[in-house]
Amino acid sequence: MSDTEYDVVIAAYLIPDLAHDDFDALVRLVAEKELEVEGVALVTVDPDGEVAVEETGDHLGRKGVKLGGGVGLVVGLFSPPLLAATVVGAAAGGVVAKFAKHQVSSGLGEKLGGALPPGSAGILAIYDRAKTDLVTTTLVSAVRSSTAEIDGGGAKDLKAALAEAQAGMGGG
Amino acid sequence: MSDEIDRTVLPIRRPPFTGTASQTLAGSDPDWGLIGHAKAPAGAPNVLVVLIDDAGFGNPSTFGGPIRTPHYDRMAAEGLRYNRFHVTAMCSPTRAALLTGRNHHAVGMGGIPEFSCGFPGYSAMLPRDAAPFPKVMQGNGYSTAAIGKWHLTPEGEQGPAGPFTHWPNAWGFDYYWGFLAPEAGQYDTMIAENNKFIGVQEGTDGKPFYFPEAMTDQAIDWLHGVRGHDGEKPWMLYYSTGCSHAPHHVAKEWSDRYKGQFDQGWDRLREETFERQKALGVVPEGTELTPRPAEMPAWDSLSENSKRLFAHQMEVYAGYSENADHHVGRLLSSIEEMGELDNTLVVWIWGDNGASLEGTPTGSFNEGTMVNGLPLTDQEQMQLALKWGGLEAWGTEMMYPHYSTAWAWAGNTPFAWGKQVASHLGGTRDPLVIRWPAKIADPGGLRSQFTHVSDIGPLILDLVGIPQPTLVDGVEQQPMTGVSFAESLADAEAPDVHTRQYFENFGNRAMYQDGWWLSMRMPRIPWRLDPEMLKTFAPGVWKPDEDPVELYYLPDDFSQARDVAAEHPEKVEELKALFWEEAEKYHVKPLLSGFAPFFGILPPIGTNSTTTYYGNVQNVAPGLVPRVYNRSYTITADLQIPEGGAEGVIVADGTHLGGFSLYVEDGKLKHTYAFLGVFEYRQESDGALPSGDVQVQVAFAADEPKPATPGDITLYVNGEQVGKGRLEHSVPFGFSGYSGLDVGQDNGLVADRAYAAKAPFAFTGTVKKVVFDVAPHLDADDDLAIHTHARQSDTVRGVNG
Repeated sequence: MSDTEYDVVIAAYLIPDLAHDDFDALVRLVAEKELEVEGVALVTVDPDGEVAVEETGDHLGRKGVKLGGGVGLVVGLFSPPLLAATVVGAAAGGVVAKFAKHQVSSGLGEKLGGALPPGSAGILAIYDRAKTDLVTTTLVSAVRSSTAEIDGGGAKDLKAALAEAQAGMGGG
Repeated sequence: MSDEIDRTVLPIRRPPFTGTASQTLAGSDPDWGLIGHAKAPAGAPNVLVVLIDDAGFGNPSTFGGPIRTPHYDRMAAEGLRYNRFHVTAMCSPTRAALLTGRNHHAVGMGGIPEFSCGFPGYSAMLPRDAAPFPKVMQGNGYSTAAIGKWHLTPEGEQGPAGPFTHWPNAWGFDYYWGFLAPEAGQYDTMIAENNKFIGVQEGTDGKPFYFPEAMTDQAIDWLHGVRGHDGEKPWMLYYSTGCSHAPHHVAKEWSDRYKGQFDQGWDRLREETFERQKALGVVPEGTELTPRPAEMPAWDSLSENSKRLFAHQMEVYAGYSENADHHVGRLLSSIEEMGELDNTLVVWIWGDNGASLEGTPTGSFNEGTMVNGLPLTDQEQMQLALKWGGLEAWGTEMMYPHYSTAWAWAGNTPFAWGKQVASHLGGTRDPLVIRWPAKIADPGGLRSQFTHVSDIGPLILDLVGIPQPTLVDGVEQQPMTGVSFAESLADAEAPDVHTRQYFENFGNRAMYQDGWWLSMRMPRIPWRLDPEMLKTFAPGVWKPDEDPVELYYLPDDFSQARDVAAEHPEKVEELKALFWEEAEKYHVKPLLSGFAPFFGILPPIGTNSTTTYYGNVQNVAPGLVPRVYNRSYTITADLQIPEGGAEGVIVADGTHLGGFSLYVEDGKLKHTYAFLGVFEYRQESDGALPSGDVQVQVAFAADEPKPATPGDITLYVNGEQVGKGRLEHSVPFGFSGYSGLDVGQDNGLVADRAYAAKAPFAFTGTVKKVVFDVAPHLDADDDLAIHTHARQSDTVRGVNG
């Protein structure tokens, strides 16, 4: 198991196109091995409120996972099947998922969903803490972002970090 | 009545009895003319005056703008475009000048009705010696109505106690329906009908209420009613839109029509508009495009995020404006269906002042943040936009949006500056279209005579054959200062008749005479009213004659692009002196009376600090809501709660973008304070309310009496503390410019979205009375400080009107 320490960042975007741009830039960094991630996902909410999760796939391409408008992001991002496959799983070329075996139901999704209105987008990334500055400058068009440290390798640690990051998204 | 009657004295005298009255009907001969009414001159046409709010010369397609206005285009194609038509640079002053035919200061409207100052030019009290032209027409046999935005009634008079001498009916309108405020939410407009607020209305046909649609329906209904009653009587309708003033509220289908059409940014848009204006001929050959002021950012300097947000702001504004054109079109179609369009003199002004610069460089999700002096970065604006629904919600009731300053500047192409800036054409020159086939021989023509909004009343009276009265209701009238330009309707080469005009709004000044225009712009940008800026203009500090001046010769310089002050110092001095002469004549002095509260010049302090509402008082106008700002206060309610409990709103003011609510839900007493959509503070009681007679109270203990003071909130039930919390910020100037206070429910947009699904969330018990005490602990110094700020607030809120 890697000794890399990880942070989680949640970034919200007013303009979905710009979230795509930042997401692509982030993925490019991973492909170029300038950044190590445990998972990265792009969430878009279309004007009708339909949520789609786009994530880095096995070949660093994107594939959309359409979710019903009523499906909270907690399901989209952190329910067991998607946790493994979409967010933490084979992202960035098959990195062994540090948190993949854990099932996380943090409630983050509802909260993040509430913070992502129709026509907006969000990026969530779990990344090598040493590259915080790089991630911050890459997510250049985020309107709001919040970062939290993941203190260990367990589900509770991830959940706590997610909760902390989510709390940072609150307020104005 | 014959046309020989004396119409210079109103009311028109009753004709002498010409019949015979014997002791009984035997031998008596009635005079049926005795029971007639004043009739309009033979052949007098109907008159429709349309006024669009807060818009610029370069907005509508009719004048080369990017906003498609097919109905305005049609009126211009069938009538005339006037490209040197001028307004004052502010809302109420223009409206006063329009309706009275006189200079705005001369009728007390040098400022705005939110603040009446104790100088003749700024009292906001229409003098009885300045009868508005609709009143003159009413007295001469016209049916008259005003529909839409008003903004001419002193704020302190906007309640059931009146007086009603400054409400629309008293200005000469048989019927009024609209809003009195400087601006209003278009989805929950607090409507006044004649002399009464009737509150927020329901939509029709299952659709939500939308003011532009509703006001048009009202106008059409009124016309149908008049014609159904009297098949011949001419009518005069003043149709005054809330659009395109903030909030820029319009359905997505309208803003979507402009998707991507402003991605080029404001600098390029100016150039594109200018090219179209030249092609249309609404700006003459040789006109130069004025440069962007340094206070506005270059489009290319913006982040991609900002560009996308700002472009969408303009998409919404454009859709909102096109929607206004659409509804005027509906009105015109209705008149046409009645067969009366060609017998209707249509006067359509696109803008009561130049497009509004008040959105600050970022624009805002809530114009109230600017009104309350809350500076927000573009990043914060984006975060708050995200909070209230993202770009998709820009234009919906979830926001109270205003676009970036630079879009307004682009809307004023080819001129410099905009609203409030009376020294420059961006604030004072707007499109005018007149259609009247009976007089216009060259439909589609262009007119370039210098004209002014005060000319409209005299023009209309002239065209319909009614003289300006010398005596109205026994009061000798001050002459109208506007001049009829009727001759220009038939003759493109008719000479200018309006050869001298001063301009002044909030210290910005200009003096025009015979083509020369002296600009005297005080060095203040319109979106700044902060103390640092204002101290520059304090009494004894500001010397207006030392302001920088610019001189233009407009016949050769349509857009004010070539300052020739240095070449004509004698003309500068001549026009400076002339300005002061005019200022003396029309009560313009003292300058900055509208800002008097900022300099400690205040009306007497009122002695009454409590307000009691018995029962379910509704729709209290913003200016009459107890001033719960910058100070400690208590709100105490006596309730009757049935067995089993009650729920609902006890008292609420404003909306989720600024307001408060005291309510009962789940058995608990709750209080929400909405800080301008930026923060929400909520408190609730620990336990459930008892039944029976219950007294509840919310008490705000300000840390100190100062603007935006933080403080502690405490909830009481029957004198016992049951909950508490803190407001880290409080609203300094005002929650809302249009939304009223309600007892027993929360009308319109609610103050806490948490109960929006239950709106208006009427209280299911009984609210016996609610008492506001806004001075529970003040000493004299505190009271003066609060009073000073309250009057400053009045000014700030009105400045945006």
